Amino acid sequence: MQIEKFSFSYNDLNVKVKSLALAMGYSTINIPEQVHHEIEEVISDGKDLCMIEGGYRIIDNPKWIKDFYQLEVEHAQFDIHKIIFNQIKKATSIAVFACTAGPEIPAKSRKLINEGDHLQGYVFDVFGSIVVEAAMDLIQDELRLKMIDKGVNISNRYSPGYCGWMVSEQKKLFSLLPENFCGISLTDSCLMQPIKSVSGIIGIGTEIKFNQYTCNMCDMENCLYRNLHQQELDEKNN
Amino acid sequence: MNELLEKLSQCIEAGKINKTSPFPPAMKGMDGADELTKQALDAGISPDDILTQAMIPGMSRIGEKFSAGKAFVPEMLIAAKAMTAAMKHLKPFFTSGQLQRKGVFVLGTVFGDLHDIGKNLVAMTIEGAGWEVIDLGVDVKTEKFLQTIEKYPNCVVGLSALLTTTMANMEIIVKEIKAKYPDKIILVGGAPLSKDFCEKIGADHYSPDPHGAVEYLNKIAV
Ligand code: B12
Repeated sequence: MQIEKFSFSYNDLNVKVKSLALAMGYSTINIPEQVHHEIEEVISDGKDLCMIEGGYRIIDNPKWIKDFYQLEVEHAQFDIHKIIFNQIKKATSIAVFACTAGPEIPAKSRKLINEGDHLQGYVFDVFGSIVVEAAMDLIQDELRLKMIDKGVNISNRYSPGYCGWMVSEQKKLFSLLPENFCGISLTDSCLMQPIKSVSGIIGIGTEIKFNQYTCNMCDMENCLYRNLHQQELDEKNN
Repeated sequence: MNELLEKLSQCIEAGKINKTSPFPPAMKGMDGADELTKQALDAGISPDDILTQAMIPGMSRIGEKFSAGKAFVPEMLIAAKAMTAAMKHLKPFFTSGQLQRKGVFVLGTVFGDLHDIGKNLVAMTIEGAGWEVIDLGVDVKTEKFLQTIEKYPNCVVGLSALLTTTMANMEIIVKEIKAKYPDKIILVGGAPLSKDFCEKIGADHYSPDPHGAVEYLNKIAV
């Protein structure tokens, strides 16, 4: 199996106060001083709680079943639906990925909430979300560079639970990875544990393109990440 | 309106807990929700007026802002903390029966689901609207809801779910509650839900945010 695994520490990641603020919704409205203060504190306390692990498995020659917008990989058949299908149907390999920020951050968040500190508990929760996404950005970048060397491109990442691809297909997705991959397990309701985890697929091929701005494709208009992605893009372009 | 109540209401909206709390900076050194509630009681203002003219409107204003995208989760949590500081002074009046709540709201995240940030926010907002909230936590089985309804026969029920897979469990819970208590009012919410889904599973009301739930509860409470 072509498997790559990574573990990171917080310092490897590109997490800023602003990333957390944007994920909370503060894009046009100024962030209150108290929240800013709380974010700084959480980043400083949360650094040591990151137990980031992630990785991917590359599988060659997936089958694309156009009539049903399906993807067939080994024994698994996925109903990835039209939007995702059209983005990666020309892939000649796919990378199945999963990444987690580890169990400590959600445990800390829950502890704070149980003790009545809902604000800091919430900021820890957001911190965990940002950490896992930032780690997955690094893994994706590593994959991209490796593939560029081989003369092929990679797509954006696509996850069960987005654009019509059902979360219940997580079971099939994880069946393609080694058991307990990176310490992530699935509950009966397909919830990944630790909770701050992400999973999905990336298309690989010469005719595959990376889309700078994918949010337009999605129908979640009030998604917190819409603001975040747009702002980050605006910053890059300026 | 009485000046004390006006100030208290502002403190709750802005999340000014007590005199020593440094936030928000514009209110530094001033009395907060804690001191003002005590002062209001000492001045002979009735607990009911404190609750309905200061606390509930303060929470309601921040809830409206949140609903309109002009405030976010942190501001709601900060306001709820100030509300809790004020509520502490009213507890004895609830216990003695002098002060009545609008009703009992039983809330939980459905079994199979472990998300609680959204559910907690709903709990705080509804408590801040004058209801007694029984929070059953996360991963709550149907049986637990049924037992709690038995204990609080007039309660309204709230269910939360964050994944489409656990939304299916919401349907099971609604069906079982309605089979035993056909008139039980059930509110549902969570990111992947919609009004259509709410209707499909036979729940009574869907709201994308806590403020909408409060508006609905206020309507049915009268
Ligand atoms: C942050 C986030 C993450 C983070 C953290 C997740 C976590 N569980 O902690 C990360 C990046 C790890 C993540 C991962 C995943 N996520 Co995610 N995530 C989100 C996001 C952007 C915000 C969630 C959040 O914290 N909201 C803040 C709280 C306060 O909001 P809330 O819980 O919704 O509650 C509010 C309302 O819903 C309402 N409410 C809630 N309950 C109730 C109850 C009542 C009675 C009422 C009236 C109102 C009400 O009031 C609250 C306040 O307004 C949402 C999208 C979104 N914009 O909501 C997706 C979302 C929840 N994720 C989604 C998915 C699919 C996933 C993954 C499965 C993707 C994947 N394959 O990797 C994984 C699953 C993780 C796991 N452990 O299994 C889907 C779930 C829907 C679905 N298709 O099932 C969403 C909705 C995005 C989408 N596609 O539309 N995610």
